[in-house]
Amino acid sequence: MTDKSKKKIHQAVPELANKLAKGDIDRREFLRTATLLGVSASAAYAMAGGVAGSQFVSSALAATPKKGGKLRVSMNVKEIMDPATYDWGEKGNVARQFIEPLVRIDRNNMAQPHLAEGWSASDDLKTWTFKLRKGVKWSNGDDFGADDVVFNFKRWLDPATGSSNQGRFSAMTRKIDTGKKDKDGKKVMSTVASEGAVEKVDAHTVRFNLNRADLSLPESMADYPALILHRHFSDEGGNLAKNPVGTGPFALKQYAVGEKAVLERRKDAPWWGGDVYLDGVTYIDHGDDPSAQVAALASDQVDTNYQTSVEQIDTIKAIPNLVLLEAVTAQAGVARMKVTEKPFDNKKVRQAIQACFDRKRMLDIVYRGLGAVGEDHHVSPIHPEFAELPALKQDYAKAKKLLVEAGYPNGLKVSIDCVSNPTWEQNTCKALAEMCKPAGIEMAINIMPGGTYWDRWMTTPFGFTSWTHRALGVQVLNLAYRSGVSWNETSYSNPEFDRLLDEAGTKIDPNERRKVMAKLQAVLQDDAVIAQTFWRSVFVAANKRVQGTFAQVALEHHYEKVWLA
Amino acid sequence: MIVFFLRRLAYMALTMAVVSALLFLLLELTPGNVATKVLGPYSSEEQRNLWLEAHGYSEPLYERYISWLGNFISGDFGQSLRFKVPVSEVLWPRLWNTAVLGFWTFAVMIPLALVLGVLAGMNEGSALDRTISVTCIGTTSVPEFASAVFFVAIFVFWLKLLPGTSGMANGFTFQELILPVMVLVVYDFGYVARMTRASMAEVMTQPYMRTAVLKGLPYRQVILKHALRNALITPFTVITLQINWLLSGVIVVEFFFAYKGFGALILEASLNQDIFLIEACSMVAVFVAVVSQTIADLSYTYLNPRIRFA
Repeated sequence: MTDKSKKKIHQAVPELANKLAKGDIDRREFLRTATLLGVSASAAYAMAGGVAGSQFVSSALAATPKKGGKLRVSMNVKEIMDPATYDWGEKGNVARQFIEPLVRIDRNNMAQPHLAEGWSASDDLKTWTFKLRKGVKWSNGDDFGADDVVFNFKRWLDPATGSSNQGRFSAMTRKIDTGKKDKDGKKVMSTVASEGAVEKVDAHTVRFNLNRADLSLPESMADYPALILHRHFSDEGGNLAKNPVGTGPFALKQYAVGEKAVLERRKDAPWWGGDVYLDGVTYIDHGDDPSAQVAALASDQVDTNYQTSVEQIDTIKAIPNLVLLEAVTAQAGVARMKVTEKPFDNKKVRQAIQACFDRKRMLDIVYRGLGAVGEDHHVSPIHPEFAELPALKQDYAKAKKLLVEAGYPNGLKVSIDCVSNPTWEQNTCKALAEMCKPAGIEMAINIMPGGTYWDRWMTTPFGFTSWTHRALGVQVLNLAYRSGVSWNETSYSNPEFDRLLDEAGTKIDPNERRKVMAKLQAVLQDDAVIAQTFWRSVFVAANKRVQGTFAQVALEHHYEKVWLA
Repeated sequence: MIVFFLRRLAYMALTMAVVSALLFLLLELTPGNVATKVLGPYSSEEQRNLWLEAHGYSEPLYERYISWLGNFISGDFGQSLRFKVPVSEVLWPRLWNTAVLGFWTFAVMIPLALVLGVLAGMNEGSALDRTISVTCIGTTSVPEFASAVFFVAIFVFWLKLLPGTSGMANGFTFQELILPVMVLVVYDFGYVARMTRASMAEVMTQPYMRTAVLKGLPYRQVILKHALRNALITPFTVITLQINWLLSGVIVVEFFFAYKGFGALILEASLNQDIFLIEACSMVAVFVAVVSQTIADLSYTYLNPRIRFA
């Protein structure tokens, strides 16, 4: 890639603009793909506005924001020592008030540069160049720059760090032989950063050299374990709670796991993003009892919360000073079957289980219809490349026939693992079990605490796993269904699927990608490794005085422009 | 007396040793990997193995237990996995919070239960006795998780009088303590009152009571001097045993009201297989159980000089 190509826009962008003008793709798809390819958001909006003739209306607030006041948020306050190993959105939310990601998913579900100023990709989508924001100050007085980003990536890709980012950025890793043998005499392999994967170009430019095309690289940088730490994080103790050096709008003042986190507006230097209206943010932990959160909201002990469960919607609506915020997401629960374990190693058994479900009814019963039905291929209608396939129907005759063919003429006994909380997950399993009965499938439900479930989510023969929102369809397919990837919980392995996935990853135009997606979705649906019930919306409750807040698709808290009326 | 003390002490040490060894064994047998708890479900097998090795989990169980025991005796309770701080840093403040909750619960419950119990027992079979007894049975039969919902519905959602949670996020306030104390008192006072009533009623039928009344002592004096001292031995035992109950009984209340106490801590530690924290919590629980029993036994000698320790 030459220096010239870094400055020019990606070759696919003019083509996309043409399609937008012709109405082949919609505005949102255009914006998403163009920004992914490194066109700045404002330029993309301008292009979209120019092409489609519509004016982009900013979500600017109607009233003038008022400075002052502290926002009180009900949320579990978990330990936040090392962002690289974060496994809960709550951890990310406290941290993101004072450390920031390179890329952020905004309220329109679009990737926006944050600590990065912008990026560009080579035509084969294997070389990505990220320009970093200049003039960003760490709270210890240092300048933010390429060294920080390089440090973080190297740390994530090191297996000793234990970061899930190793899986997220697997296109920058390779496997090596450690020379050791395990108990069974098999070679012990280690996953490490591939040679020259992360490269500092200058003080504010970093280049990523990938082994394979990855369209979703910027989106992956928006996940909570990818919050950027100061380059001396490890040398200075490696504990964010004790040494909270950050670039963000707030500073961590007090931290007690399980109790509260107190953040105050940064005073050492102005935040790079301009005015911050709140004096501070206080997170208060109300434990795992959802009713405690509602009680706290009702008695005005807090202004907003992390998440409101679907069961509580009516209660929240009945309290006059509260509003309910909704985000339509690609979050989903999947009843996933491990193809290496009996009886799920038989495709007909898996298909029989799928055939038992009435998905619309499931969504209505368990989630009050607030979402979209799933189709067993883990690509959501809100994904830009979603391809519509024929709707799945409940068919007991087919299920019974499949069971007979699979060698279970007298029915089948299975047991599914699921978490006790949030309750919609176990409720879904209960509904699944009921729907399986008429076909002669007896499904026992093994409800367990989340901690226990996450110990076995990769190994249990049959489990109900919830997957968080990902902005692109190919993203989740790459993480969960590609052969041999670390989060492949079903042990699914299909060379044809992998090949199609590779192909989809090179199609920048969502319409072109959709053609491949139609095949991909059909393959995954037919191989029947998951029974996917529905896509769910997520909800946040807030007091009416809170202005400028919204439910983000991954329940992230973007509070820098929030204010209290 | 000294022999009694030493025996109790030895008994306590033995219980602690057995409980801690059992816990280590049980947590070891529980399926699941502590590294998954720390690194999260999305870590790879290789990453988890590296973590286990780096944190001494590759050594055999007995070696880990002995090294934990040595540290524990020297006052080092280890590092909490969940909180990522030394165990003592979370344990003592949480224990203090539960002590505060327990203190106020007792401060309200004991006078209330004793007065009601004595009043009922003094007039066994009267309308007052029946009213008190039925009320006591009624309140004691409602479990805490039910009464908690009930009180929150009334005082928080309907009357809007009290705060709904008791996290004490802005420092200690009595307002936030009212509901948890109310739930605990309502659940527990009936039991103590019933015990007091039974004991009182029994004393009232004793010949010396009849004698005292017949020889013309004022009734007030008969009750205060002759009846109460004898009638209070049973409730006293019951009350000291309530200290023990409170330590685990608060789990529900602390969970419901998000009160940051010892009960909520035990729950959190158990759900997360936070081994050192679970061990420390159990040691505290054993200690409190043995100490409260010892206090109960010792107080007998004061209340009833006929009891002597061999």
